[in-house]
Amino acid sequence: MTPESSDDSSVRVRIRGREVSLAMTEEQALRMKAIARTVVHEPFTKRVWAELGFFLLGSALAAVGLVFVTFTMGAGLILAITFFGLAVLALSLRSARGIGSLQRGLVRSMLGETVDDPQAFVARPGFLGWLQSCLRDRVAWRAVAYLTLKVPWSVLGAFVAFSLWWDAFALLTAPIFGHNGGGSPVWGLVSAFFPSGYFNGDTGFFRDLVGLVLGAIFFFAAPWVMRGFVNVDRLLVRSLLGPDPMSTRVRSLEQARTQTIDASAATLRRIERDLHDGTQAQLVALAMRLGMAKEKLEDDAEHVDLDRVRELVDAAHRGAKEAIAELRDIARGIHPPALDIGLEGALATLAARSAVPTELSVDLSTRPTPAIEAIAYFCVAELLANVAQHAQASRASVSCAQQGTWLRLVVRDDGTGGAQLSTVGSSSSGLAGLTDRVHAVDGRLNLVSPPGGPTVVTVDLPLAS
Amino acid sequence: MTNSSLRIAIAEDSAILRDGLVQLLVDRGFTITGAVGDPAALRSSVAQNPPDVAVIDIRMPPTFTDEGLRLALELRARHEGLGILLFSQYIETRYAADLLADDAAGIGYLLKDRVADVSDFVEALERVAVGGTALDPEVVTQLLGATRRTDSLSVLTAREREVLSLMAEGRSNAAIANALVVSEGAVEKHVANIFGKLDLPVSEKDHRRVLAVLRFLES
Repeated sequence: MTPESSDDSSVRVRIRGREVSLAMTEEQALRMKAIARTVVHEPFTKRVWAELGFFLLGSALAAVGLVFVTFTMGAGLILAITFFGLAVLALSLRSARGIGSLQRGLVRSMLGETVDDPQAFVARPGFLGWLQSCLRDRVAWRAVAYLTLKVPWSVLGAFVAFSLWWDAFALLTAPIFGHNGGGSPVWGLVSAFFPSGYFNGDTGFFRDLVGLVLGAIFFFAAPWVMRGFVNVDRLLVRSLLGPDPMSTRVRSLEQARTQTIDASAATLRRIERDLHDGTQAQLVALAMRLGMAKEKLEDDAEHVDLDRVRELVDAAHRGAKEAIAELRDIARGIHPPALDIGLEGALATLAARSAVPTELSVDLSTRPTPAIEAIAYFCVAELLANVAQHAQASRASVSCAQQGTWLRLVVRDDGTGGAQLSTVGSSSSGLAGLTDRVHAVDGRLNLVSPPGGPTVVTVDLPLAS
Repeated sequence: MTNSSLRIAIAEDSAILRDGLVQLLVDRGFTITGAVGDPAALRSSVAQNPPDVAVIDIRMPPTFTDEGLRLALELRARHEGLGILLFSQYIETRYAADLLADDAAGIGYLLKDRVADVSDFVEALERVAVGGTALDPEVVTQLLGATRRTDSLSVLTAREREVLSLMAEGRSNAAIANALVVSEGAVEKHVANIFGKLDLPVSEKDHRRVLAVLRFLES
């Protein structure tokens, strides 16, 4: 920093008529001021009192809890040879769980930190089941671990933080009461580092001054030291009293499995709907027409209305062909045969069959899993069908590229835009249905379609799901 | 045929089937008062132009579950004497139970497949129109399969069981005789035997007879 610029941005203070330039910029000065204000205000903030309250209450509760749990567990273990001992042990663990949730409540209400509840206690049926569930309750054992760690930590914290406060009190009041601050713990520790009698000289003023400065430092430092202890405690609470990582993982896997089951149930339902509304209705209508024709033919030979019969058979014939085409489409909806030759070939078929001229670019070095290929295929098929139906586009493009472990599909058209991820109608149709399919494999679907177009749909799928 | 007096409304969401039904019924001389694709449309059609029978698909928009059944119950409560023929791709015994909860008069519940046999279908429709009952043989089979009264049923002869099934479908003695190719007198004798063996209250009206048989099977 050049002297000139430093002149411009440095902070000048006027002391006894002289202007003194502090060696810091405005910004640094502001920051220092903020820090100083924080430090000065800290001992008087609500937060410190809340932390102090938590510290005292939490430690007392933990100490009582630990004594109780240790005692009951000890008793349980000693009696473990008998059945009764196991029951005592189980009850002890149940209470450890309770103490854990009390601690969690304390953290929530006094420190304003929400720690998620661990998984609820689920007992197996019968008394033996209950006993077994209690003894194998991970949450309870973790609560015991918490109590075991917390109590010594609290003792240490109480010693350090309270000594600081006590020292601050003692040192700041020493000049008034004229007593020697040396009796308090930290002060005693500090003075031990100095040669004996260093502060006990005749220079009472110097000694008082040092005492006052140290007292002030202690007073302002105490909240921060205590906060350090409380923060470590917070960490303990979060890691030992919250949901444990393994169970969380199990839970998320269970959720994923449920989603998959739901997705496949939705697929089955869609197929059933297609069969019901399409093919089955076609076949019923077909049978009906043939039935009518048959009845007409059963009339007296002279009165048979052959034209009408021919009409009916014609309609039935058309219906049969439509039913075959519909069945083919439904089968393709279950597993597109085009995918047998790979995604690229299947997409090429789709692009070629699209009603809107479609350009395709595929850049894949790894072949996705069959499930992902199928989803990618259905996405492109549905999106191109949408383009043809709604977009009034003259051109469309499909790109399918690999990005790391992801497959990115982009379907773009130059139509009128204004497409929406509507959830109207059945969730298994249209864009909403696509979103469901994509989410089922942890993918993402993004739609950008301003009025007036163009519409760009981006689908990201993991290459392996 | 003398169906010109019979007026039919149709609610069926599949256009193919709806058109086919209209064609078939017009061909048979029925008057179509309305052919619509959803419950709301049928509601207003029936209110404006009351038919003798409403043919209702069970699965219709918006949820494609049991809209038709609920609509049928609603229409029956609102329009006395209106015949209802529920029309479905599948038979759900539960639906039959709901539908026949207190009365079997003027109610039909048929598989859609039955339209293939045009005469049977038209006959069922006419039966419903005059306050009779037309239950799909499938409903009766399911009820017979699910009943816990197998002990009582085992006392019936094979022929009597046949007659019981046809009775449960809602057929008259004449129709049963026709179907089994026996005399009406023989059917009457079978019916009397069945009512005696099962200890059922004898009833003149066909639809009351249906209800009695169904109650017996369900209990």
